[in-house]
Amino acid sequence: MRAAAAKAAAAKAAAAKAGTAKAGTAKAAAAKAAAATLVAGLIAALVAVPLVSLARIAAEAGLTGIWRALSGPQARVAILHTVAVAAVVTVLAVTAGAALALAIERRPARTLPRLLVAGPLVIPEFVLGFAWSQAYGPAGLSDRLARLVMPGLFGPAGIIAVLTVYGLPLAYLAVTAGLAARADPALERAARAAGAGGWTALRTVTLPLLRIPLLAAAALVFVTAAGSFAVPQVLGTPAGFATMPTLVYDDLALSASPAAFTGLTVVALALVVLVLLALGPLDLWLARLRPSARPDAPPARHQSRTTGDRVVSVIVWAYATFAAGIPMLTLVLTALTRGPGLLPVPANWTLANFSAGFSGGGAALLRSAGLAFTAAILAPLLGSAVASLARGRWRGPLATLVTLAYAIPGSALAVGIIIGYGRWLDGSVTIILLAYVAKFWVFGHRPVQAALDRLPPGLTRAARLSGAGSATAVRTVVLPPLTVAMTTAAGLVFILAFHELTMSTILYGPGTETFAVVIMNQQDLGGIGATAALAVILTAPVVAVAALAAWLARRPSRSARPAPRPPARPPVPPSACGSPAAPGGGPWFP
Amino acid sequence: MVPVTATRALRTPDAVTCAGLSVGYGRPSLAGLDLAVAPGETVALLGSSGSGKTTLLNAIAGFVTPLAGEIWLAGAVASAPGQCLPPERRRIGMVFQDHALWPHLSVLDTVAYPLRRAGASKAAARQDAQVILEQLNLGPLAQRRPGQLSGGEQQRVGLARALACQPALYLFDEPTAHLDASLRAAILEEVARRRHADGAAAIYATHDAAEALAIADRVAVLHSGCLAQLATPADVYAEPDDLTVARLTGPVSVLDAPVSPAAAGKATITIGAAQATVPCTAAPASAPASAGLAVLVRPDWARLDGGFDGSGDLPGTITEIRFRGPHTDYHVATPAGTLLIREAGPPQADCGPVRWSLLRARLMPSEHLG
Repeated sequence: MRAAAAKAAAAKAAAAKAGTAKAGTAKAAAAKAAAATLVAGLIAALVAVPLVSLARIAAEAGLTGIWRALSGPQARVAILHTVAVAAVVTVLAVTAGAALALAIERRPARTLPRLLVAGPLVIPEFVLGFAWSQAYGPAGLSDRLARLVMPGLFGPAGIIAVLTVYGLPLAYLAVTAGLAARADPALERAARAAGAGGWTALRTVTLPLLRIPLLAAAALVFVTAAGSFAVPQVLGTPAGFATMPTLVYDDLALSASPAAFTGLTVVALALVVLVLLALGPLDLWLARLRPSARPDAPPARHQSRTTGDRVVSVIVWAYATFAAGIPMLTLVLTALTRGPGLLPVPANWTLANFSAGFSGGGAALLRSAGLAFTAAILAPLLGSAVASLARGRWRGPLATLVTLAYAIPGSALAVGIIIGYGRWLDGSVTIILLAYVAKFWVFGHRPVQAALDRLPPGLTRAARLSGAGSATAVRTVVLPPLTVAMTTAAGLVFILAFHELTMSTILYGPGTETFAVVIMNQQDLGGIGATAALAVILTAPVVAVAALAAWLARRPSRSARPAPRPPARPPVPPSACGSPAAPGGGPWFP
Repeated sequence: MVPVTATRALRTPDAVTCAGLSVGYGRPSLAGLDLAVAPGETVALLGSSGSGKTTLLNAIAGFVTPLAGEIWLAGAVASAPGQCLPPERRRIGMVFQDHALWPHLSVLDTVAYPLRRAGASKAAARQDAQVILEQLNLGPLAQRRPGQLSGGEQQRVGLARALACQPALYLFDEPTAHLDASLRAAILEEVARRRHADGAAAIYATHDAAEALAIADRVAVLHSGCLAQLATPADVYAEPDDLTVARLTGPVSVLDAPVSPAAAGKATITIGAAQATVPCTAAPASAPASAGLAVLVRPDWARLDGGFDGSGDLPGTITEIRFRGPHTDYHVATPAGTLLIREAGPPQADCGPVRWSLLRARLMPSEHLG
């Protein structure tokens, strides 16, 4: 009798348990659906609405309107300039970046060369362009000291040179990631053992293996160069050399006619089409190819330094000194010097430029920091949401969509956002934040996705079998390994948002200037010393933090391991096209 | 009159000679290694991971330059400090641990690759590669990519690529490490057949004692970058120089028992109250045998039934029985320590007291045990 009662009670309890279990899964499914809807809605709001807005304005103009806008003399020249500059930069940066990666990554002591090559990425484009003009331009430092002026600095040659300094590290990192993931040193050794000389092994084995990373690097560099606004603005505009992004900016800033607005919208849309044609199919394709990569290739064995190492070192040092060292030093000297035309000697030093800069730009500095901080919090959260929700069939397309949001040139995205949301949010801080989150979402997504992919599959199952509920399992075994990736993502987004100029110049209103905008306006007004001081203030914190991070990353491995250190392989973004994310894994921001 | 061995050495130089070879970066991973491999000979490099097997193979293949010492290939210097014949000019075929197959090439093109590098036209190289693939029963896989092959197939393709080099020397870097037992046997079989067919020398690195003993003419036991012993498989098994070698070359038990010399080649070993007088060999002692002797016993050197003539009727207790298919392992607790005895067939005794006999032993100064 009692036994039967106990049995009944047990059955009841079991039923109740099954009921809660069912309710639990139903709840989880509902939560998942809600989260998926939220993410889809956000992607639509941040990426789709601006693009659709651009397309709507263009469609209203009709085919003839589009044709007229694109075939106008200004637009035609700008399109030609953009394509030509981006193509040349792509060739130069990918060739040099790949050569340097192959020369450096297979040798001992590669941390320093890596930092030297990648360093310029932490300098805002506008600042580097301005620094080059002060270092190598007419009345610049080299002109005054040695009567040396870089020919064509204001114009296509200078734009190409500075953009190559930015493209080179992107290519370098993509090839490095490719080397680590695809080109196991044993493969090259097998070729050598099979009778191939060093160059033949490079030609027949290593380069074919790197074809996909190289293609990805080329697409990435092309997109970055085509969408660059700051460099053509500071080096091209004085020479009357316009590209699509500067044309959009000029039209928006200088003319108020609806026809001009339609024209710039069409140009912006054309810019989008241009980069999407370069990037879209490639990214999808790469995402599909990814599983064939070998993520855990053993590191190459090292030998002592050779003459080749020293030659590579000298080249890297010379390059870094010319590309970033001298210009940035000039920038600091200019900021410290009392007036233009004076020699930067201690007698002429002053801090007046800095105090003037702070009094004019203090509020903007705080605003920029706040915006960048908020974006740095939001982007990794949204990125994790996409990474954890997009499984199976939707994974590739969703990741591509987020990547494309980055690839859309800032000018076009900003114009799209103005059309889409301007009537409510015009000139507010919120609209700038929207643009930042849309643009930099990918940097929150790619590192987290890469970290998720590296987690062994049985992780949560083992946790569940050990007694953890689904939420507890995620909290205790999935999130901890992701914290590094999320921190990396947050740091990277902060830097990019803090430096952002292209979209901010289009979106800001009275009282909502960001710090970068203040600097550009200051340069427009011709205050060279003040511009330099503000540029130093904009750059210094990030450079300092990055240098500290790089130093910290190097130090423990030295004390802990006297033996040669296994290479700190930059985490591979899911597809190298996302290599906007490669910097995230890069060695200067662990 | 010139000794026979010397004339042979003059006529056909060794396939490989390593003399005083030190390799490494910071802490040397090989220190002062001497090794000579005759033409047609197979030497197994036996050692645990980190013992320097792969480093030695990489040095012989020319991937690393030695810190000190020299490597001679077929009578010519190939490596010396600051001097390194490039790998592609060494006539070496190498089979890699992780297969090292090129993901962008088909099986056919992979095997044709060495032939192409040797100067054959594309068509001729493919034709010859197809022949090699047929020999290894890989013909149907010719158009596949490495990603579409199983582990065993990948390693056979790696073997085919090494064959296509038509080398004077094969280097095997743990080729069966990632394979399961049956594939392992198949690959070993293939390696042995190939070697007999073309008479090239081979160095076969492995951490598996059974594999090393089965495949090699001589076994070189490596321990922390030094050559611990170099002898035929039978010798390294029966007469290991020290306990490390003994453990690396197969299962062994160490008994702590009083030993007294007996008639030629024999010694009397006292275990508990009983004694056994058995054939013994002694490892060379570096110091006078002051610390006493330890008794090393292989599992097949003892039997579970006592009472053989002179071999003793020794006391013990079976504590564990492990059936392993062709044979059974018995763990016997004796007054001198735990002993592993291996008998053919399924278990034939139960746990409990047992009498056992000793057939032979290896004596070793206790200082070698440390």
